[in-house]
Amino acid sequence: MRRVLFLLPLLLPVVLPAQHEKTGEESKNPFIGDPKAIEAGRKIFASGCAACHGPEGQGGRGPNLRESVYWHPLDDQTIYSAIRKGIGGNMPAANLSEDQTWQVVAFVRALTAPAIETPLATGDAKAGEGLFWGSAGCSGCHRILGRGGALGPDLSNIGATRALPAIREAILDPDANGARGYRSAEVRLKNGKRLSGVARNYTNYSVQLQDRDGNMHLISMQDVSEWHIGKTSPMPKDYKQRLSRQDIDNLLAYLSRQSVREVTPEKKTTE
Amino acid sequence: MRAMPLFLTLASLAGAQVRFEEIRKGPAENWLTYAGDYQGTRHSALRQITTENARSLVPKWVYHMPKANGLRTCPLVYDGIMYVTDSNVIRALDARTGRLIWEFKDTRSKKEGANRGAALLGDRVFFVTADIHLVALDRRNGALLWEKKYGNVEDGMFASAAPLVVKDRVIVGVANGDNGMRGYVSALSASTGEELWRTYTVPKRGEPGSETWGNYIEYGGGATWLSGTYDPELNLLYWTTGNPWPDFYGGDRGGDNLYTCSLLALDADTGKMKWYFQFTPHDTHDWDAQAWPVLVDLPYEGRPRKLVLHANRNGFLYVLDRVTGEYLRSSKIVDLLDWAKGIDDKGRPVRVPGKDPTPNGNRICPSVRGATNWMSPTFDPATGWLYVVTLEQCDIYASSSKAPEPKKNFSGGGAGPKPADVGQFFLRAFDPKTGERKWEYPMTGPGESWAGTVSTAGGVVFFGDDDGQLVAVDARTGKHLWHFQMGEGLTASPMTYAAGGRQYVAIASATAIFSFGLFEPQTSVPVPASQ
Repeated sequence: MRRVLFLLPLLLPVVLPAQHEKTGEESKNPFIGDPKAIEAGRKIFASGCAACHGPEGQGGRGPNLRESVYWHPLDDQTIYSAIRKGIGGNMPAANLSEDQTWQVVAFVRALTAPAIETPLATGDAKAGEGLFWGSAGCSGCHRILGRGGALGPDLSNIGATRALPAIREAILDPDANGARGYRSAEVRLKNGKRLSGVARNYTNYSVQLQDRDGNMHLISMQDVSEWHIGKTSPMPKDYKQRLSRQDIDNLLAYLSRQSVREVTPEKKTTE
Repeated sequence: MRAMPLFLTLASLAGAQVRFEEIRKGPAENWLTYAGDYQGTRHSALRQITTENARSLVPKWVYHMPKANGLRTCPLVYDGIMYVTDSNVIRALDARTGRLIWEFKDTRSKKEGANRGAALLGDRVFFVTADIHLVALDRRNGALLWEKKYGNVEDGMFASAAPLVVKDRVIVGVANGDNGMRGYVSALSASTGEELWRTYTVPKRGEPGSETWGNYIEYGGGATWLSGTYDPELNLLYWTTGNPWPDFYGGDRGGDNLYTCSLLALDADTGKMKWYFQFTPHDTHDWDAQAWPVLVDLPYEGRPRKLVLHANRNGFLYVLDRVTGEYLRSSKIVDLLDWAKGIDDKGRPVRVPGKDPTPNGNRICPSVRGATNWMSPTFDPATGWLYVVTLEQCDIYASSSKAPEPKKNFSGGGAGPKPADVGQFFLRAFDPKTGERKWEYPMTGPGESWAGTVSTAGGVVFFGDDDGQLVAVDARTGKHLWHFQMGEGLTASPMTYAAGGRQYVAIASATAIFSFGLFEPQTSVPVPASQ
């Protein structure tokens, strides 16, 4: 198998930006962006909430807190109230202090806020940069500001557009979200030519195939004799085994800083 | 169907580069600038769609732009890929199918706002964010190359114009002259985004031209919210400027208020102003000069001249020498025009007294929307005529005596029609040599269109009408050939391109991109061999 990292197989619907627009200034939460509070919130969440919502809010018996359908309409106050009071007969009220509740809210917010805005990434960004451009092989397929490969999604702005858990998931389980926009594609044309790469889009009648060099091939299915578009991306699926936990944290720290605009993480401290 | 050179439907785009020389050639298969060409003629060499077969046009595809509301974009097309923009977002579509290929959205823009389109050079596509950043992307796959800020929203501005690529640079402007700001045109390096020159449209206090202002020169306006045109031989950019601020109250800014409501001829290498021509000195009607300066070479008084044609919001069609800026002639483009008796031999309006906004409101023609506006005109070299969307309307103009406050959305008054006095749009064909109105096509509708035109070598003029329809007429006679109802108001101009050997006509409606082509029975697509 090619030793390349193929990250973020999705063209996610434009929900994260909406989240960014929704979050921020109006919150009364004193702990938004506060690393210590978020860590405290994570611990509370792990012991009390993760059983249903998953350790990173990915869902289980309870809803996925990172999906827009659940979090998009919710402001901090609503999440706070849901934790304190519970939701009908489905979710019990939590027995937490006011500060503890706000800490959990800060953690939930950090799960969905663009990675560069949150202090969730604890790794060494410099080491992560080395991995990205070196041994992990990410740059074989991914590009940052014009450098790197062209088969996979451009990561120039990834920290500004995706939440850290989403980036982590894309590395460890690249097809978790269906790989839409980056599914492996092999096409044989009636003139005998073969093309391979990823399907940026396709229907029964046309495919927009991007090859390994980043070139776009706009193909009518009338001209195709055979085609195969997989349900997964070409990204290797074994990074969980191949990279250590520390490597992954380092990679995440590097990727979470990728923003075309300078962003100062919103940091408040309670000290 | 008339044969066209076969477009390579399966062409790999490796190495395909948009070259400056290619942009100079003007539109055929590709449509490479907002106006299609550097001259602003919006005339395409495509001739597959003709006056004979235009009646067989059908929609080929529709792409609904997510969250769009009032699209201003004019699509660009290169090698079968279409580029369309909206507020802080650019998308690439398969021009034959309308399928989305990629999108880039700048989620951190501090503003939302209308966007008029993109620019192409080499393997790059450029567009501006509402908060005044130029973004460069790999045009093939949307990979980000850089973003460069070239203005501050804190100064009361935003950006909306399609950039114009000239040689190795990208020319950009700024918007919001109604808010109290100082307009400028900038040239940024297409490689790095570095600003190479900046030319302000309102002088600093003490500079030449500042004597034409009273107070508020620092916020004088002169926004540059529409792309310009370019003469490669003269190496001159032709860029229009917006209204002086406050729009409707001129009491504190006595004088001509240079260089607002003007056409500027700028050296493309240095930004130096070679000449200017002010259409509406000391404007109090919000008559920005943002309409297209169309560059044509025509005989004038017996000898060939390099001309610039400009149908202005103030109701006159101007013909200038584009080498020197010399005023040559003008003529009315609307009948409802009462603020000026005419234009004198120097090109200045001869004003009718009492036609300024008043605290109680004053009925003045044309309306604040103008006799025309930024909706694109087209010039067809086969007829030699300029086709202009015109609005016959008068407004009640009111002025405010409130002390002007910059950056607070204060414009010194306002204007609008009485409900029973809304206007009517006409597409009109003018002979620029004489000013004669050759024909007109009346439209129905609410008087709210911003849609323009495109002409083709097939002898067809397409325009968006005031009732949400794309209409095709015969360029020589104005005779209706075809129309299609898109179901919503139009705020953009049509263009035409070819892909896969077939000509298309595309236009953005309020929320979607429509593409039309000649009817062909479909061929059954086999069941996929493999999925």
